[in-house]
Amino acid sequence: MRYALIAILALLALLIIAPPLLGTGWQYALINALIAALFAAAFNLLVGQGGMLSFGHAAYFGVGAFTVIHLMQSVEYGDIPFPTVLLPLAGAAVSLLCGALAGFFATMRSGVYFALVTLALAELLHSLAPHWDEMFGGEAGLSSMRMPSLGFTFGSTLEVYYLTLSWVVICIGLLYAYTRTPFGRLTLALRDNEQRIRFMGFNAHGTKIVVFAISAMFSGVAGSLMAISNETANYSVFSTQVSALVVLHTFVGGSTIFFGPIVGACVLSLFTFVVSGVTHSWMLYQGIIFVLVMLFAPKGIGGVIQAHIEQRHALPWKRLAAPYALATLAGLMVACATVFVVQSLEIVLSREYAAAVARTGEYAPYTVFAREWQVFHPFTWLFPVLLLVPGLYLLRRAFARIQTLWDKDDDDDGDIAAAPRELMEGGH
Amino acid sequence: MDTVMQPDVLVIDDLQKHFGGLEIMRGVDLTIKQGERHALVGPNGAGKSTLFNLISGEHRPSGGRIYLRGQRISGLKPEQISRRGLTRSFQITNVFSRMSAFENIRIGVMARHGIRFNLYRRIKPMRAINDEAHALLQQVRLDHRADNLASDLTYSEQRALEIGMTLATGAEVILLDEPTAGMSRDETAYMVELIRQVTEGKTLMMVEHDMSVVFGLCDRISVLVYGRILATGTPEEIRSNQEVQSAYLGEEEEH
Ligand SMILES: Nc1ncnc2c1ncn2[C@@H]1O[C@H](COP(=O)(O)OP(=O)(O)OP(=O)(O)O)[C@@H](O)[C@H]1O
Ligand SMILES: [Mg+2]
Repeated sequence: MRYALIAILALLALLIIAPPLLGTGWQYALINALIAALFAAAFNLLVGQGGMLSFGHAAYFGVGAFTVIHLMQSVEYGDIPFPTVLLPLAGAAVSLLCGALAGFFATMRSGVYFALVTLALAELLHSLAPHWDEMFGGEAGLSSMRMPSLGFTFGSTLEVYYLTLSWVVICIGLLYAYTRTPFGRLTLALRDNEQRIRFMGFNAHGTKIVVFAISAMFSGVAGSLMAISNETANYSVFSTQVSALVVLHTFVGGSTIFFGPIVGACVLSLFTFVVSGVTHSWMLYQGIIFVLVMLFAPKGIGGVIQAHIEQRHALPWKRLAAPYALATLAGLMVACATVFVVQSLEIVLSREYAAAVARTGEYAPYTVFAREWQVFHPFTWLFPVLLLVPGLYLLRRAFARIQTLWDKDDDDDGDIAAAPRELMEGGH
Repeated sequence: MDTVMQPDVLVIDDLQKHFGGLEIMRGVDLTIKQGERHALVGPNGAGKSTLFNLISGEHRPSGGRIYLRGQRISGLKPEQISRRGLTRSFQITNVFSRMSAFENIRIGVMARHGIRFNLYRRIKPMRAINDEAHALLQQVRLDHRADNLASDLTYSEQRALEIGMTLATGAEVILLDEPTAGMSRDETAYMVELIRQVTEGKTLMMVEHDMSVVFGLCDRISVLVYGRILATGTPEEIRSNQEVQSAYLGEEEEH
């Protein structure tokens, strides 16, 4: 627990100190990562803790964003004074109300039907927004400007970054505190067994509405921060892509651990920032990561990290070092092969390349990994196979070895079950 | 216990239930007295669990009334009935599987104290709640398992946990649906002792197939056959009842 606190404080210090040394591109990427992290944490309150999978959380994110844009416009035109610093409060309030209303209906059902109702509500907004000019500014959306407040001009990206960081840290702190309250514990009980809490005297529907509304409220704060950062919002914030992305972040990070979705959101949005600058296929890579995590680490990145932390005293680290190194190497080989194939196809199947072939009548060499490749040269085809086949073989070997070492440690120490469990489940 | 002098806690009056065209409960009359341990026995499919579902609010009766201490509870929701002091366990184990044994009980204690929407206090320093949960855990003899996930407990430990959870809500009337089902002889004996201890001073109604448990633990017995109460009485009365003999007990006591 003490180490966790130190790690968090160190990370926080880094987040405060580092950004002035970075360019605006990275500052902007960090703002988006922080917003995604808060959104995922808010979403996971509903999914991971409340056990309700929503496919329409973009609705509450978007409501927060539009609320803030409207308020910023009013401030800009001098209608009402409202400090820029506190804008997310307005987004939170409106999203809370919308969440309570939508939650009232959505939580009447559970499972697939719940997911479908949330999806339908978000789609309703998404199709309504482009046609409702006063409210959502039509297809173009609404824009405004950040006004100076409390001595900050909010002219630079860095100032916006610190504003975002403050709000995100406070909100994630509150979300964590939530898990330690009686209602936070009841939320977990609701996820495990709704019938039972009813027979113990709790109003399950009411409980679900409150969980839904609070999740919507924090999603609204994330949306608000997005609006403040972009100074604009349009109907696309309600799109299924936005709803799907938060699901992706949450599950890649691991929905059973409080910090999982936060990690997932940061990792994936920074990954997107870096990779989308290099290749058009970044969505494919994101999809591959999602599928691999779901197949081989269903508890997500957070789950893997947590398993290691929990068993840090029991694991034979020295004996694990070699297979871990081997797995890393083999993983890199497989990744290289995959990237090579994807990038080659991206180039060779592109319209420009086809046009060049039609024009010149020959298949020009192309560049991947800073080397020229001939399309029909055997080595071009052999190269990925030579990486992939041994890579996969070594990966299997490494994981088999890792598995036995982990399992052995289970036998040695039958008391593993009594070891401290997930942070979220932890405290009493 | 001299049950004759005790006031009625639970009164069931001409209770009926049909699912579609299927008549499952066909006019049940039953009175449970304050402080008694009342067994509900009957063949498979007689409607015992359905009767529990009706009393506890899982299903709405198609006809008839149910009173708890003179107040009508038929038609109320499960949580409303639970808050009036009647709670139940389930035939199939029904716990919060991804929470610790301690937390399973503590949720019940929260219910008893009316802590439902408390978002402004940490639960860790709530001494009264935590102490009470620990005491209850001790009472159902699971204190050594406090920090284990409910899903990691053995089957009989889970059943004991269930009883702890029903007790935790502070209910005065407790309905247990086959608490010893699927247990070995030793586990059953252990569970019977446990139930005897923890229901001291409360009113218990339990479904049970094991006749030695019923005769050993309960003050009165009702026999439910095909949606009707065939007979109600003390163990001696039921044992010597000819109708019950032929309809139900006969088959069981042959071996
Ligand atoms: N929700 C329902 N819908 C339709 N039929 C039902 C429903 N619940 C119970 N039944 C039927 O009611 C009858 C009585 O079931 P119930 O579970 O109450 O029996 P039981 O006495 O508890 O039996 P057992 O000893 O096997 O637990 C059964 O025929 C069952 O199929
Ligand atoms: Mg039954």
